[in-house]
Amino acid sequence: MEATQATPVKYDMEVVRWFTIAAAIYAVVGTLIGVYIASELAWPFLNFDLEYITFGRLRPLHTNAVIFAFGGCVLMATGFYMVQRTGSTKLWSNGLAWFTFWGWNLIIVSAVVTLPLGLTTGKEYAELEWPIDILIAVVWLSFGLNHIMTVAIRKTSHIYVSNWFTMGMIVMITYLHVVNSLAIPVSLTNSFSVFTGVQDAMVQWWWGHNAVGFYLTGGFLGIMYYFVPKQAQRPVFSYRLSVLHFWALTFGYVWLGAHHLQYTALPDWTGSLGAAVSLAMIIPSWGGAMNGMMTLSGAWDKLRTDYILRFLVVALAFYAMSTFEGPVMSIKSVNALSHYTDWTVGHVHSGALGWMAMVAYGAMYHMIKKLWGVEKMYSESLVNVHFWLATIGTVVYVVAMWVSGIMQGLMWRDYDEYGTLTYTFVESVSAMHPYYAMRAVGGLIFHIGTLIALYNIVMTVSRAGATRSAGSVPAKA
Amino acid sequence: MGYLGMDVAAMTTNDWLGVFFVLVSALGMVAVYFMVFRPANKATFESQRSMALDDEDHINVGEKR
Repeated sequence: MEATQATPVKYDMEVVRWFTIAAAIYAVVGTLIGVYIASELAWPFLNFDLEYITFGRLRPLHTNAVIFAFGGCVLMATGFYMVQRTGSTKLWSNGLAWFTFWGWNLIIVSAVVTLPLGLTTGKEYAELEWPIDILIAVVWLSFGLNHIMTVAIRKTSHIYVSNWFTMGMIVMITYLHVVNSLAIPVSLTNSFSVFTGVQDAMVQWWWGHNAVGFYLTGGFLGIMYYFVPKQAQRPVFSYRLSVLHFWALTFGYVWLGAHHLQYTALPDWTGSLGAAVSLAMIIPSWGGAMNGMMTLSGAWDKLRTDYILRFLVVALAFYAMSTFEGPVMSIKSVNALSHYTDWTVGHVHSGALGWMAMVAYGAMYHMIKKLWGVEKMYSESLVNVHFWLATIGTVVYVVAMWVSGIMQGLMWRDYDEYGTLTYTFVESVSAMHPYYAMRAVGGLIFHIGTLIALYNIVMTVSRAGATRSAGSVPAKA
Repeated sequence: MGYLGMDVAAMTTNDWLGVFFVLVSALGMVAVYFMVFRPANKATFESQRSMALDDEDHINVGEKR
């Protein structure tokens, strides 16, 4: 059943093009909202006494925009792209793929309308109310069914590891989303979770950390295992290690959620178990990061000239760093200092900006050239500028949150000689102000990078469209 | 040892189901490690190393909406 190389394969790539453009737009919108709410924390007058734009309402809009709008569109674009190319077949259903595209965008629009109005379940990373939750399940399943059926009709005998990561994500996110979203509706815009008390907290973080594990990590690792070899023009350093990486992550991630609930009403052993497995996860995570980096063996010189490859390699560096930092933060003694502080925010953003967004842009730039049949982006220099803005912005953001978070933790638990707290809470808030301003600047730098990327992408697509209209270059992917 | 103690008599059906699935998953993980690191399987696995690079030979004319 190996692919016959002589047979041309006509892929369904138009939907991939739309998902890619949508991702570039959502990255701009999502980071813009992030910069605004970061600025609100530094300069509260920016609330303008309007409840619709307060931090509490815009923060879930920011997380939904970057994780589900930007991240989701990237995952669906690359998922449909990789499964067709590695399977030498077109999509099982192109019509269903378009349903997924419009359905996913409808969900995003619904979030934009409901969240600023304060319509929320209050569950982190799962704020949308029950009618939208049902729509998410339906649209996500349409993506999953199409992807899995396309794997089923592949013309190659082997299922490439990237597709395993995508399918693992699809199965687990379906399960996690449905269980975590189980609720009793009381009206069209209000519902109550079927879980209460400590069970609610446990289910919430079982979802929350696995959304990180299977969606923001597993899904994007699938992207890494396809696009790093592609861009470096080198085979994967060790395919065996990639297989082990997939199974170890799938086995390990589901245990970690409880480490978010150290020193709470949750039984003590569950937090300890979560921390123990978190530490064990360093091994496959670093194995995978090394596997990606070692794929460049013999081709490191390409980093001097290939700006897209830089995105992918720096993403791997942030992946390695975040997957070390996370387990360390899950240890109870470290967690006693770090929990509820900005250190957690810094950790999340080193993963979201440094890993997820970097690997996403590496893949997007690679795909755009293939999808629109162009040799180069409109401006390769602007890709380089974007790379440096993304890297510097991420570092500024993360360092600000590290300093702020550790300072917060130390101030909150400092006692004087009489056993009373040394600092009031307000004093800790005041001390954080410079770092909150620094965080807003870091975010702004990253956001400018997304604007430059969007401009570069639009110009590349426009130029390719003009060339294609002239009939001189057929589109290739 | 008290921390790791287990009151078997108090375990519910859910607890036993949990233990069963944990043990099956752990054994499955051991089996994956054995399969991946078995020298005899090395060539089979590594033959897929360049699969991502092989799809360049296919021609795609794209789809027009």
